[in-house]
This record gives sequence, structure tokens and C-alpha cells, in this order.
Amino acid sequence: MRQPSVHSRRLAAAAVSLVLAAGAAACSGPQDNDAKASATDKGKPQKGGKLTVLNSEPQTDFDPARLYTSGGGNVPSLVFRTLTTRNRANGAAGTKVVPDLATDTGRPNADATEWTYTLKEGLEYEDGTPITSADIKYGVERSFAAELSGGAPYLRDWLVGGADYQGPYKDPKGLASIETPDDRTIVFKLRKPEGDFPFLATATQFAPVPKAKDDGAKYEEHPVSSGPYKVVKNEDDGRHLLLERNPNWSEKTDDQRHAYPDTIEVQSGLDSAVINQRLSTSSGPDAAAVTTDTNLGPAELAQIGSDKALAARVGTGHFGYTNYLAFNPKVKPFDDPKVRQAISYAINRTSVINAAGGSALAEPATTFLPDQKAFGYTPYDHFPAGPTGDPAKAKELLKEAGHADGLTISLTHSTAQNRETSPEVATAVQESLKQAGITVKLVGLEPNAFNEARWSATKSPGFYLSRWGADWPSGGPFLAPIFDGRQIVKDGSNFNHALFDDPAVNKEIDEINKLTDLAAAAERWGALDKKIGEQALDVPLFHPVYKRLYGKDVKNVVISDWTGVLDVSQVAVK
Amino acid sequence: MTTLPDLPASGAKAGAAVAVPAASDARQAWRRLRGRRSAVVAAGVLGLLVVLALAAPLLAAVEGQDANTYHDALVDSARGGVPIGSFGGVSGDHWLGVEPGTGRDLFVRLLYGARVSLLVAAGATVVQVLIGVAVGLASGLGNRLLDAVLSRFTDVMIALPMLVLAIALTAVVPNDFPRPLLLILVIGLLDWGGTSRIVRAQTLTLKQLDFVAAARLAGSGRWRVARRELLPSLAAPVITYAAILLPMNMVLEASLSFLGVGVKPPTPSWGQMLSSAQTWFRADPMYVLLPAGLLFVTVLAFTVLGDAVRAALDPREAGRLRVGRRRTSRTPAAADPSKDISS
Repeated sequence: MRQPSVHSRRLAAAAVSLVLAAGAAACSGPQDNDAKASATDKGKPQKGGKLTVLNSEPQTDFDPARLYTSGGGNVPSLVFRTLTTRNRANGAAGTKVVPDLATDTGRPNADATEWTYTLKEGLEYEDGTPITSADIKYGVERSFAAELSGGAPYLRDWLVGGADYQGPYKDPKGLASIETPDDRTIVFKLRKPEGDFPFLATATQFAPVPKAKDDGAKYEEHPVSSGPYKVVKNEDDGRHLLLERNPNWSEKTDDQRHAYPDTIEVQSGLDSAVINQRLSTSSGPDAAAVTTDTNLGPAELAQIGSDKALAARVGTGHFGYTNYLAFNPKVKPFDDPKVRQAISYAINRTSVINAAGGSALAEPATTFLPDQKAFGYTPYDHFPAGPTGDPAKAKELLKEAGHADGLTISLTHSTAQNRETSPEVATAVQESLKQAGITVKLVGLEPNAFNEARWSATKSPGFYLSRWGADWPSGGPFLAPIFDGRQIVKDGSNFNHALFDDPAVNKEIDEINKLTDLAAAAERWGALDKKIGEQALDVPLFHPVYKRLYGKDVKNVVISDWTGVLDVSQVAVK
Repeated sequence: MTTLPDLPASGAKAGAAVAVPAASDARQAWRRLRGRRSAVVAAGVLGLLVVLALAAPLLAAVEGQDANTYHDALVDSARGGVPIGSFGGVSGDHWLGVEPGTGRDLFVRLLYGARVSLLVAAGATVVQVLIGVAVGLASGLGNRLLDAVLSRFTDVMIALPMLVLAIALTAVVPNDFPRPLLLILVIGLLDWGGTSRIVRAQTLTLKQLDFVAAARLAGSGRWRVARRELLPSLAAPVITYAAILLPMNMVLEASLSFLGVGVKPPTPSWGQMLSSAQTWFRADPMYVLLPAGLLFVTVLAFTVLGDAVRAALDPREAGRLRVGRRRTSRTPAAADPSKDISS
């Protein structure tokens, strides 16, 4: 009688977990009635104390060559300084790129194919040895080694000779396109104009690595710090990190990082509900805790809404990100612009946003570019659906397209519970298209299969939920991978969902890349986005909003529009 | 469900031919079952649920709602989409409130969810019993080689990590395949090992008994013996076991839906509802309590009824009724094969 007992155990386990959940519910209500919490919040941030970071994703491969970050990352940026970095300021000011190890954000030549940087004086590693431009060159070169893969693909694409370089272990001569005429000067030679180079130089690949201390794949266990903290402990491949002050870091050479706490402990691999529960209870060490990767869910927001003390501990951030419905015009009936337009008109963004967690967690999108100036946001709404959709207009277009009796299509989505490409959002799309006489069959794929399908140039479905975030706040990394015809990848990850290849668009992308005036470039990106939008190659749905809870002792919360999350280098706990 | 109490009677018709006075046994069992108040209540609850599930379209029309229409105005978008109003947005229009985030009517979704949950549980049980009885009988009656092969196969099926396999299977099946049928097949085809073991053990025991030997001496073939002599006697343990399997299958459907491999949205099932409700237990308790409560009541009713059927079919229970406790305490429990079932 093994089977029933297995079953009854399963049943019992379910019952027990239900009881536990109920127990947790009973004892974990919002108990933050501590009036002191908000009072101390007003005090000036002081040095000292211990900050805990509660995360779900571990800091795996904590090696500057292997990290794929936006603006140098949050926790990595505490240890690795880079040539340039993101401006640590609230909101839109935080989308600016500022000097870090270098004295400026880079000096381009006339056509932006050559970038020169000069290092500040008095820069030292954690062991007191000086940081030289050769170390930066070596750091960049390491990221080309096959055993240290993981970083963003731009360096390989942009640097002269980058495509064939194998890294310093196989090719000790190094990359000729990175020159170090003296200990403080470094020059990068690019194979094409890239006005966005200062943004790329914020990546951890631009952190100095002393050649003498490099032991290849093992370097991640004890990377040499150039930032305000050094790694004291790294357990379970970044699951648990302990950072302590780096005595050789000097505030004088770093006007971006504050480094208030004495120690920073990163605990990751935690369940998001656990993280938010611990931050909400905020007891013991959790009072001085933050999270850099876990959003509040809709149910948690609903709960917080009725609790003012808790609501005061929620940080709101915007990261340049767009969730959209992607069309593959090679698949019928999406080859017909009228069908694509009809779907654009029919979308009920109110339902979709509710499915994404409500208006606090998502804002309606009608443009492909995020609604931030840094990206070049230019408002447009070519197929105005209003807040709840325009099924009448959609039906009219369908009739013109020869689908007077309605239309049946498939929508591919993932089964991941992410409220972005997940079944909830797909169902909301299905329901709003039903009003326009379009029957949507849902095709739910397991997350890996889903990504494989949607990033395939040859087998991608005709209509699917997708999303795109930028590697830095500029129109380039947002539009080029999606709409540059030369970036269609036949065998590999192809992000150009519409297989869109328009010579005029490709040319404009090249032209904008030549601009080193980022504001002028942003304007042109915005205009380009508006122009591409006329083709209805996608239906922008929403831009997600980050809502992050932090502990009651946490002070000096800075959330930039670059990352959308609280910057750990600014946080104080005393 | 409601048809369950009839089954022993139909089994008894076939059993009437043998020396054992099965018909009167069945009648007694039926009387014993009716005499148990818990059994009657459980059967009533299940009957009501079946009626409600069958009448889902009718009741939805009475309420004036349907399962899939979004009501964006009924949820507070700024607060994560929590239903506006008390008790999860209960109102004259929405009797049990609405779903957070979508505003879909919970009453109608629960009714339609009952259809999926009950259908999958009942369908899977039928498949499990059919396969289990066939394999168990063949194993018990076949030669040593067949028995060994089938028994080892059963062992393997029992040892397989059921949930993992079910997830893998549901992931590879074409998208158009109807999900409730898929769930029935997945649960039914993977989880019949228990039934098969009971039937084999019971067959081995019965094979030695006089009435079977008599039938064989009288010239009956194996198939005829199985059909006329063994199956009727197997009815009791199998029905009892099926009554235990049913609620388990219902929980299994819930777990599969919980893991995202159950019915496809927007079709509701109790498991799917529980899965999306899991984070809402504090912000909107109604959303969690309704499907959880219904699942709980249904599983409890099935279990109570199953226990009552077992007791009613148990000859020792008969003895208990007739001569009291002392005699049953002297009966060696281990000797009775039906003891297995209650464990």
C-alpha cells in the first residue's frame, strides 16, 4: 500500500503548508507602528553599521569580466570602479554618465571612433598598489577569454580586432586597439563611430584587474577591489557575500559612492515573498536591509496601501523597459499591416496593466522607447486605442483587410509567473481582442522554450508577448537590436522580431551613432522611434514600475532612472 | 459520487451465481451505508456539487455574469488590482466577489472550476481503476513470468516521480490537445500502481478459495473465472480504493494547475484559482478561501464517503453490528486482506 501513503503524505504536506501559511498570516501583519522609524529617517546619514541586502538572484560569477550589468551594477559597483559610471542621483539626473576612475567621460576624435581617457591621480587597489591604465586594458582584454564569458557583446563588436581576439591567456600580446601611452592614459580605437562609448565604459569590464593577481576563472573568489568595499567572504558562488571597507579607497577620488555602512552583507537565493515579508516586518538586522532585485507584488501592494508607515518605506523607480506584443510579419495574417493596426486599436491597456499588477506597477505605453528623456522619448500614439481599446475601429480595419467574419490567431506567451510575458497578461490581451471579434488561442511555453522560440529568426511565432530593456539609458541599445536589419541573427538570439530591414532606418542608426552630443542623439532616436512606429511592427503595452520596500533604519535612498532601484552605494543605516 | 452506492448492487448481480450469498451481502452493505449519517451527508454534499457544476451555465445566467469577462472598474488598479468593496467585492451583481486584477466573477468561475476539478478527478479515477484491475488480474492469474514482468512494471510505475513526469508530459503534448482530457490521461496512466497491487494480492488470495476451484473444476476457462468469480469479489476493495483515489486525484489536479501545467487560461479550475490566489491571502482572503474551502469540503466528503463504503463492505463491520465488539477483537487483523485498504 505504498501509493496511498505517498498520496496521503502529499495531502498532509499540503495541509501543513496551508496551516503554516495561515499562521504566518496571523503573526506577520504589518506591525510597523514604530513612530521612531520615520523620525530617525530625517536624521543626517552617518558612517557605520551594517547594511544587509536581501536578494533573490545571487551574484554569480563575481568577476568584472563576467558580470553583465547596466551602469556597472549595484553590488558590483561597490567593489569595482570603472572608467565612467552612472550619476548617483534621483530620477532623470541619474541617467547621466559621469567620470569615475577617469577625469572625464572620455575625449572622442572627430568621428567618435577613438576615445581617450586619463586616470585620476592617487588611485589604489585594496592592497595599496597603484591602479594603472595597463590594468584597465588588461581588464577589458580578459573579458574576451572564452572561460570568462558572460559580459555584454558590445566590446567584441566595437573594438578594432575585437571579433577575433581570444583573450590574454591565449593571446598575451593583447589587443592593439587599446593603447596605453603612459600609466594614466588609455585610448580605445573602434571600428565604427560610437557616440555612446562613455555609457559602455560604465560596464565592469572597464574595471582595473592587476595582471599579477589574475588567476583566470578563480579570480571571482577574491577579486581585487578598486571600490569602497572589498570582498571578505564569497560563499556558494555569490549566494552569500560579505563586504568590508577597503582602507585604500579614498573619497577624494570618488565623488559618486558614499560608503556609509562599515559592512555590507548580501544574502541571496531568497524567495521574493520572504524578502518582502522580512523588509516589512523589519525586525533585528532586517531593519537595516534593502533589496536590489525584488519588486513588491500586486497583493503586497494592496496590503501596504492601508498602512501609512509601511507605504513610507516603499521606493518607486523607473528603469528603461518596454513590454510589448511582437509581430512576425513573415507569418500570416500578420503580414497585413491592417491586421496589425486592428490589433493595436483593439488593445485594452487598462486590463493589461491590471494583469501586470495595476497602475502602481505598470504605466501604459504607446511608444516603443521608454518614456524618459534620456532615451529620446517622443510621444506618439499612431493607433489610439484609448485606455480601454477601440474595438469598433479595429473591426472596421479587419473588414477592410477581408476578415469581416472575425479572425482567429495564436498568441505565444511564457508560463513563468512574471506578470510580463505570463498567462495573466496573455489572457488580458485575449479578452480585449475578443471585443473586436478576434479569437485568440493561447500557446503557453515553458520559459526556456519560450525564449528559444521568440529569439529565433526562422521559427519565431507570429504573435507573442515580449519585452526589452536597455543596457544603458540611450535610444541606441533600445532600438538598434530590435530594428537594425543588419542585426538580424540567422542562427542565434535574434531580437529583431519583425525581421525588419529598412536601408533608410539602418542608415539613420549609423548617423546617430556618430553623434557625441548625447542630447542631440536622443532627439534623433525619438524621431526614429516615431517613424518606425507607423509600421505597427509591435504593440507597446506598458512600462513596468519598480516598487521596492526597504527597512526602517535605511536612510539616504537614491533611485535613479538609470537602474530604477535603490543605489546601495548611497544607503546609510545610521 | 451519487452513483457510487449503486455499484455494489450491480456487482452483486453477477456474484449471485456463486456459492457466496453475495446479493444479500450487498443489500446489507447498502443498508449499512445508508444507516451512516456521515455517509449520507457526504453523498449529499457531493451530489449538490455535481448538480451545481452541471448547472453552471444556468446559474451564471441567473447571476447575469460569465466566467471570462473582465470588469476593470471593479478593481483598484492603484492598489495592485485588489477588488473594490468588502469581502473581495461581494455585491448583488457578483455574489461571491470578483477576482483581483481582472474583476472576473468568482461565483461563475468557481462553478466552472468545479466542472474541471470533478471531471478530471472522476475521469482519472476511472482510467486508474481500469488499468489497475486489468494489470492486477493478469498478474494474479498469469504464469510466473507474466506475473514477474507485470509486478516489476507496477513497481516501476509506483516508484516514478509522478509529478515530475506529469509536468514533462504536459509540456511536450501539442498545444491543441484538450487539457482536461490530458490531465485525466496523465494522472490515470501514471498512477494506477496501487490499484494493480491490491487487485493482484486479492486475486492470489481468491484463487485458492473453494468456489474458484469449483468453477475451474466445472470447466470454466481463465477468462470466465476472472469474469464470473473474481471480478464480483474484487468489487469491494476496488470501489473502496477508488473512493480514496478520487480526492487524491482532485488534489493532484490542483497541484498540477498550481505548477502551471493544468488547464489552460482562461478556463478556471479550483487548482488554477488556488495557484493565482496564493499571494493574496492577506490582501483579499476571500479569493483564497473560496477555492480552498470548496476543495477542502469536496475532498473531505469523498474521504468520508470512501471510508463509509469501506466500512459497509467490510465483513468485520457486519460482525460488529451483529455480535458486538468482543468478537471483532479476536479476529486476527493481519489475516484479512481488506485491512490493507484502510491503511
